[in-house]
Amino acid sequence: MLKITDLHATADDKPILQGLDLEVNAGEVHAIMGPNGSGKSTLAHILAGRDGYVVTQGEVMFKGHSLLDLDIEQRAHNGIFLAMQYPVELPGVNNLTFLRESLNSVRKANGESELDAVSFMKLVREKAQLVELPDKLLKRDVNSGFSGGEKKRNEILQMALLEPALAILDETDSGLDIDALRVVAQGVNALRSPQRAMIVVTHYQRLLEYIEPDYVHVLANGKIVRSGDKSLALELEQKGYNWLLEEAAA
Amino acid sequence: MSTQQTQRDWFNDIVQQNAGLLSSAGPPWLSRTREQARQAITGIPLPDRKQETWRYADLGKLYQQHYYHQQGQLDTLADDAVQKWIYARGASHRLVFANGHFVPGMSHIDTLPSNVTLGSLHDMLKTEPDRVSAVLSQFDADSADVFSELNRAFINDGLFVHVPENTVIDKPIEVVYLNIADQQNLLCQPRSLVILEANAQARLVERNVGSGRSSYFFNGVIGLSLAANARLQHYRLQHEGRNAHHLSRVSLRQQDASEYSGVNISTGGAWSRTEINARFDGPHAVCELDGLYSVGEQQYTDFHLDVRHSLPHCRSRENFKGIVYGNGRAVFDGRILVEKDAQKTDAQLSNSNLLLSQNGEVDTKPQLEIHADDVKCSHGTTVGKIDPGQLFYLRSRGIREQQARKMICLGFAEQVLSHIDDAAVHDFVHAQIAELLDQAAVVL
Repeated sequence: MLKITDLHATADDKPILQGLDLEVNAGEVHAIMGPNGSGKSTLAHILAGRDGYVVTQGEVMFKGHSLLDLDIEQRAHNGIFLAMQYPVELPGVNNLTFLRESLNSVRKANGESELDAVSFMKLVREKAQLVELPDKLLKRDVNSGFSGGEKKRNEILQMALLEPALAILDETDSGLDIDALRVVAQGVNALRSPQRAMIVVTHYQRLLEYIEPDYVHVLANGKIVRSGDKSLALELEQKGYNWLLEEAAA
Repeated sequence: MSTQQTQRDWFNDIVQQNAGLLSSAGPPWLSRTREQARQAITGIPLPDRKQETWRYADLGKLYQQHYYHQQGQLDTLADDAVQKWIYARGASHRLVFANGHFVPGMSHIDTLPSNVTLGSLHDMLKTEPDRVSAVLSQFDADSADVFSELNRAFINDGLFVHVPENTVIDKPIEVVYLNIADQQNLLCQPRSLVILEANAQARLVERNVGSGRSSYFFNGVIGLSLAANARLQHYRLQHEGRNAHHLSRVSLRQQDASEYSGVNISTGGAWSRTEINARFDGPHAVCELDGLYSVGEQQYTDFHLDVRHSLPHCRSRENFKGIVYGNGRAVFDGRILVEKDAQKTDAQLSNSNLLLSQNGEVDTKPQLEIHADDVKCSHGTTVGKIDPGQLFYLRSRGIREQQARKMICLGFAEQVLSHIDDAAVHDFVHAQIAELLDQAAVVL
């Protein structure tokens, strides 16, 4: 589904990614771990098409086509979804209006009919149960005055509505207490499917107790320095990142 | 640029050329006050861009034309310019003023609670001139300038509302100032008066509309008086024709624990200026002023707010937002004065602007002047572009860039529109702003 080859990227002329390779197939969950500043969030943002990064080398193929040529919204239409570390507040924009606009934009781009208000409400209520998002938050402005946990649940709700082929979860565990983390992880797990791939970016092993990955990769200095199964995450939990960094340097 | 003398001549010409329109009949006090105003116009200082309040206001185009009042009342006027009414017929008390004159044929005043007076100033001047005199004199202390004197020199028609004690008008009062100049440049100068006695409640929706081709000058004055515990919701929608000059003055007097909520929407006109002066005559009164202006290609819009706290325990808010695109220019001058004795004042002042183009300009001046020591006051002002983070968020959810920008602008507007406590008015304005943004999309 996704094949990243020798990806180099800079931000403000500073090299961030320096030869990253990654292949993700449908049905797989990949965790990307690594110390702060290793380029984890940059990778997530580049896949979603955020401005401010320059790809200087390498390619990213998604469903057999080059991803980097596409606009941000085209990527969403093609099935890329980024659950953000810091979901943006949109004061004055009603959450339901936003969710419906988003879903219908994606449906329209894929040649499906737009959902009318009644069918949409039915669908959104059903999906909101998945992340235990109360009705009142659907009626509020997007993320405005939401707690950290509510924002993350709203992200997973969007994912549930858009049913992306590839979901990228950027530090979804940050700022969550244990109860919120459990709810969010439940939502994510319910969305695992043989057709869907996920990339879970996280600093801590904690999240992976709830969302069990098929593969774990360690990103350091802009490239993947070690890949393994979920036992690698446990090893990192015990030993930290330094031993890997030293190994990589050697 | 016109000189002081040619500007003075412009005012004198208007006075002379329109003098014949006022019938000599009428109460003696009215002839006297008009005459006083005519005299004042010959000597009162003229707006000057060296004065702080007129610094950004270019009146050059106004002075290039002569303007004439509509002669006599109209039976009706093609209402194409209205396009759409906010309320279905019968859902409001509708009063239409066409080219400055009340038009009974286009208006519809429903059954009212007993003792409520709702109608035109013109009719009131005929039937109960002394009552008009008494109400007008409540606003005698207002500071005058040459434009308010020009209005006073031609006091003739406008809205007249009097709601007695403990009376609630449950249907909204919908006033439409419809301005369509056919042959010559039109001058419309309504003088409106709204009096709410103790515990009275009303909702007033004023709307200015005009045809796009017409060249006219709207120079309106409205006085609002709220007695103890009275409540007025006042929604003002300025969407004049794109060649119009619009100047309006709102004068507000509030007694003990009265509550005024005003939402001002300004989208039309080539040149528009609104001045709101609020005074508290009793403690525990609340004055909320919200506003939204959108200003685009070849447009200038200007708000001057002056709220004075001279008594303790009053609350006021000035919350204005602007959307500026093309080479539009916006001016916001918001002042809240808290005098020495106005302890326990709660005052908030904010102005924020979305500047969507390179060539737009915003001049904003929030002034919070505090002379009391036990108060809660805040102020803030911003001018910025669309937040790239918000734009990315929406686009990453599949929403196309143009639509995403429109949603962000509408969300920005909604933070003002949410203060409109009337779904019909809210939805009307919301749709209007959405349409404007669609039209502006080419320049966004």
